[in-house]
Amino acid sequence: MRNSKTLLRTAASVVVGAACLLLGAGVALADEGSSAGPAALTMFPVSEKANPANANMKPVIFNHAIHEGKVEDCTTCHHTGDPVACTTCHTVEGKAEGNYITLERAMHATNIKKRPEDEVTPQSCVSCHEARYKENRQCAGCHAIVKPQRNAQWCATCHNADVTPAEMAKGRADKYTLDVRGELAQRTLKKSTPVELLSPLDGPLTVYIDELSDKYEGNRFNHRRHVASLMDRIKDSKLAAAFHNNPETLCATCHHRSPLSKTPPKCGSCHSKEINPAAPERPTLKAAYHLQCMGCHDGMNVARPLKTSCVTCHKVKTAE
Amino acid sequence: MNRRKFLTILGSAGVVSALGTAKVAKASATHTFPYYDNSYGVLHDTSRCIGCRSCEEACNKINNLPKPDRPFDDLSVMDKKRRTSAYQWTVVNKYEVGGKEVFRKTQCFHCNDPACASACFAKCFSKQPDGSVAYDGSQCVGCRYCMIACPFYVPGFEYDEAFDPLVQKCTFCETTRLQKGLLPACVEACPVDALTFGRRGDLIKLARKRIADNPGKYVDYIYGEHDAGGTAWMVLAPAPNAEAAIPTANPIDAGHTFEKIGLDTHLGNRPMGEYTYGALGTVPMIIAFWPLLFGGAYAMTKRREAMHKAETESVIKTAKEDVATAMDAAVRTIEQNQGQQAADEARKAMVEALKAREASKAEEHGAHGEGK
Repeated sequence: MRNSKTLLRTAASVVVGAACLLLGAGVALADEGSSAGPAALTMFPVSEKANPANANMKPVIFNHAIHEGKVEDCTTCHHTGDPVACTTCHTVEGKAEGNYITLERAMHATNIKKRPEDEVTPQSCVSCHEARYKENRQCAGCHAIVKPQRNAQWCATCHNADVTPAEMAKGRADKYTLDVRGELAQRTLKKSTPVELLSPLDGPLTVYIDELSDKYEGNRFNHRRHVASLMDRIKDSKLAAAFHNNPETLCATCHHRSPLSKTPPKCGSCHSKEINPAAPERPTLKAAYHLQCMGCHDGMNVARPLKTSCVTCHKVKTAE
Repeated sequence: MNRRKFLTILGSAGVVSALGTAKVAKASATHTFPYYDNSYGVLHDTSRCIGCRSCEEACNKINNLPKPDRPFDDLSVMDKKRRTSAYQWTVVNKYEVGGKEVFRKTQCFHCNDPACASACFAKCFSKQPDGSVAYDGSQCVGCRYCMIACPFYVPGFEYDEAFDPLVQKCTFCETTRLQKGLLPACVEACPVDALTFGRRGDLIKLARKRIADNPGKYVDYIYGEHDAGGTAWMVLAPAPNAEAAIPTANPIDAGHTFEKIGLDTHLGNRPMGEYTYGALGTVPMIIAFWPLLFGGAYAMTKRREAMHKAETESVIKTAKEDVATAMDAAVRTIEQNQGQQAADEARKAMVEALKAREASKAEEHGAHGEGK
């Protein structure tokens, strides 16, 4: 059935493409993603037990409609080819049908073994998102440095559905229809307000980094241009918009490990000039600067400046 | 002394010698260097190294090494694989792992139990409690056994030095910097902390943490943790691609990547010296036993020869005496029967006959000897 659908779709594309060519006019193709799938819905941790352990996370609001348009076909997520709910096979405890892959793993696993070419390699939410930010240049810079964390702030990005305990219990038992789960999702979505990210103008124009100036002069870092360029590149990404859910999220790549703030501490507040015996794994200030700049440029495949060309960023100090 | 006795002595000497060797081999642990718990080391993270050669420049400067032909900012020297030498104590080489350039600095690894020290009969090398392997050239004879023994091909020889050429290698900046509380020059010069200085034990923990915190970034192996009995300088290698993201913890898999960056993971986890202590332990045995053994054999042969000679002489003497007695008896009989004159003639004739016989015998013997 899946194959015939793909075939039809391909045939349709070919016909439309031929029509475009014939007419010699650019005809915008209609969004292919629209199908009979649900819109946003609430995903409950379905369990066979009445009071399951490890199922206390808030449910997730999953916007099915947006995701449909972003993936190749249904099998990207519905990897068996049968468009049933994930929790049919993957429950909190795991079931034989789901090869005892628990719901938590099905949603978060990143170490998924690649299947042979004629089989579908299943994907989890996290593994698919991870692939996106790794393959997109505009994301890969920061995400070469930013690593997913297991803390309340990170988890709450997705686990944010507003449900009562009674609803939660009913949801766990899988007693809700698709429509009700959609309504529950809408309730949360209506409450949420879009996040207004900080503007590049909120930060300084330039930062003169010269605390370690020795053989070379310091670097005049164009802070505003860097922030503006990063923001410009991801302004159309819905994925970025959904996950950068704090005004200062974007700042936190460089200004990492401190609480989110419009006025974060300087690098030298934590990174000492000399190696710190209490924290030998922490890069020294010189290395912190270089690793951060080079790490992001590497991730984004910025060819210039060369990492070994000191004078691109630093003037040689002239003897006085 | 007969043949049987001789063989018995030879056999027992062999057994004693073998026992002695076995004892040395067993006691080899006492021959190895003590493992200094608080010794220092350096962790080289090749995933960070950018190949800028700052470390080479710093090393050259602090150790007053001769200026190289090509400046340190000429990175094209890395097109060829270079080795450390007497005048380049550290070099950075370029490798390729999974289509990406990877740089690795090499220098003396400052082994926990250095092979160079085990090979040196002049005792020029010593493992210091601070972790460095120090070289003192005052007794060096220039045999270069250390260069052959080193599993990392590190020590260099001053071939161009006509008088008193010495072996040279990285000192860990022990006297120049460590003892003054300063970091080794290369470590301080590194712009990206690809070199981390610390206590060896801490570095291993740090390396493990780095591997664990960055899944898929590193090969799950710390080169030098156990290789060649453990080294003070250790190396982390970047994982070749996303496929290696699932950690296998299999040293054979690690070996592929480490081989690509020029490190041999087949050195084993025993100190190099341990492989030879058994064989070398027999040397004192040989020195002690062989003069005794061969001296004894020589003395026995000599003694037997002397005895044989004495025996022969006594036989000849007896024979001669017998002839003389018989001749006397014959002459006396002739004297009694035929008178004094006849007896004299007979004695004369007999003496002549004896002489002639002896002469012919001697001639025959001589001819025989010549014929030989």
